[in-house]
Formats: sequence, structure tokens, C-alpha cells
Amino acid sequence: MQKQELKQGINDSIPIILGYLPLGFAFGVLANEVGMSIIQATMMSVLCFTGAGQYIAIGIVQAGGAVFTIIMANVLVNLRYLLFSTSLVPYFKGRVPTAIGSLLTYGLTDETYAVAMNRYQNHAPTASYMAGLNISSHFGWIFSTLLGAILGSYIGNTDRLGLDFALPAMYICLLVFMVKSRSDLIAALSSALFCLLIGYFAPATMSNLFNIIIATIIAASLGVLISERG
Amino acid sequence: MSGASIWIMIIGVSVVCILPRILPIALFSRYEFPEPLKRWLSYVAPAVLGALTALSVLAPEGYINISIHNRYIWVFIPTLLVAIKTRSLFYSLLVGICTMALLYNFC
Repeated sequence: MQKQELKQGINDSIPIILGYLPLGFAFGVLANEVGMSIIQATMMSVLCFTGAGQYIAIGIVQAGGAVFTIIMANVLVNLRYLLFSTSLVPYFKGRVPTAIGSLLTYGLTDETYAVAMNRYQNHAPTASYMAGLNISSHFGWIFSTLLGAILGSYIGNTDRLGLDFALPAMYICLLVFMVKSRSDLIAALSSALFCLLIGYFAPATMSNLFNIIIATIIAASLGVLISERG
Repeated sequence: MSGASIWIMIIGVSVVCILPRILPIALFSRYEFPEPLKRWLSYVAPAVLGALTALSVLAPEGYINISIHNRYIWVFIPTLLVAIKTRSLFYSLLVGICTMALLYNFC
């Protein structure tokens, strides 16, 4: 265990946790409203760590849908992590033991992925960094869910705090960090464009987030094509 | 939904959450990816961030909303400028959150 790396990971999770606060809190409130107990809501965040998937589950429960529907919707929503996780493989190779790496990717989310990838551009990945980043982010998610499930009915509107923009701000900044060449920029912009176009013409992809998968596949291919042409 | 169904749902969702995250690392780590695949994968992160940024700013409520009434678009501008100028996550978050709070409360 490398203490410095662990500490850096925990440090880097702070902006993520800030963004998770309103999201986890809202999940706790909503879960409570559709009849889940405080323990169930919190345990869902312990066992599932998938913001979008959890919100979809609540929506389907509220609409009186079946457990099977919820699980199928979550298969779709979580499919993109196949891609994210695969893109981590070259970084982990020879640096993070497979067993530990696999266990720690339990804490892989859009946010921890973005922060970790940014770090790995100029630092070698370590299990300690990943543990610090992923586990403390997960704790933030669990804690904010618990808070929402308990306090939901007492606290009014949290929109006024502006925390809704924490995650978008983080994405924007990490995007700026991540774009280092013309082909990176083209990949990012075309992915943004395709993601919206696909979402516009196939609105169902906006809730199962398939648009992110398709846009990423197209944009990464474009990136390779453009870098080859120089 | 009954208490038991909710627990079954939670465990089912947990399984489909965990598998796509863990399997690639667990299965592919022993192989050396060919160079072209590695290069392709290196574009996944910028592409994912482009998509996430676009969705979080232009579809903050889950549907596309490109209009002057979408506060996220207005807050996007100063946040992007600060991110480029300072290259600091802290300042970007600070400016983003404060601008959002100001717009929400006073506009």
C-alpha cells in the first residue's frame, strides 16, 4: 500500500463526492417516496453504484413495472462500462494485479473513470490510487443516499446551492485536460455531436445511455482515422 | 412492489452493474492488445468525456434542451473559460457551482 498514492486518490475524489451529494441525496429521497426503506435505499447504493441505473429503477418501480424490466434496463445502462473497463486494461497491465484491479473496478463510474484516466496520462496507475479514488467516491455516494433517505422529507429545494453543476463542471474541466491533440479534439467534439444526434433521433437512448456507447465507438474510430492521415 | 421483490431487484441490478465493470479487467489483463486496438482505446476517454459534457450541459434533465432558458448552457461558458485558463479542477468547480447558484437564485 502506497500511502501517498492512496491520499492522492482520496483527494481526487473530493470533487466527485461534491457532485454526488445532490444526486445521491435525491436518489435517497425518491427511493423513500416509492416505498423503499432507508436500509433498502442505502443498500442499493452500496451494492449498485450506478446513478443512472438507480434512477431508472425508481422510475420503473413507481410506474409499477416488473423487476425483470428494471434489470434489463440496467443491463443496457451499464453496458458502456465494458468499453470503459477495456480501455483501462492497457494502463493496468504489469502495474495493477489483475485480482485487485478487478475488485477495484467495482467502483468504476463515469466520474471515477474520467478522473482516473486523466491521472494516468502522466502517472502510472497504482492499486492504492484507485482504492483511494473509487472507494471514497463510493462512500460519498452511499452517505449522500443515506442522508437523502433520512432527511428527504425535512429539506426543501437544494437546487439553489448550485451543486447541480458540480459534475458538469468536472466533465468540462477533465475534457480540457484530456484533449491534447487535434485528433483528441475531433474525437471529443464528434462524440458530443453524435451523442446528441442519436439521442434526438432515438429518444430511448437518452435514458439507457446507448447514445454514449455508439457515439464513443464512432468518435474513437474517427480519432484513429484522423491521426493516421496526420 | 413488495419488500422481497425490492431486494431481488437490488441484487439483480447489482449483478448487471458489476459484471461489465469487472469482466474486461479480469479476462483481458493477461493479453497484450494489438497496437491499433490500443490506439483506438486511447480515444475512448476523450470521446466519453465529450459525450458526457454534451449530455450534462445540453440535456440536464434527461431530454435535449438547447434554448436560452437552459441555465446549464450559460454556466458552461464561464466554466469552460476558467478550465482552459487555470487548468484547475478546483476553480472550475467553484466557478461552475457559484455561477449556477447565482443564476438559479437571481435570474
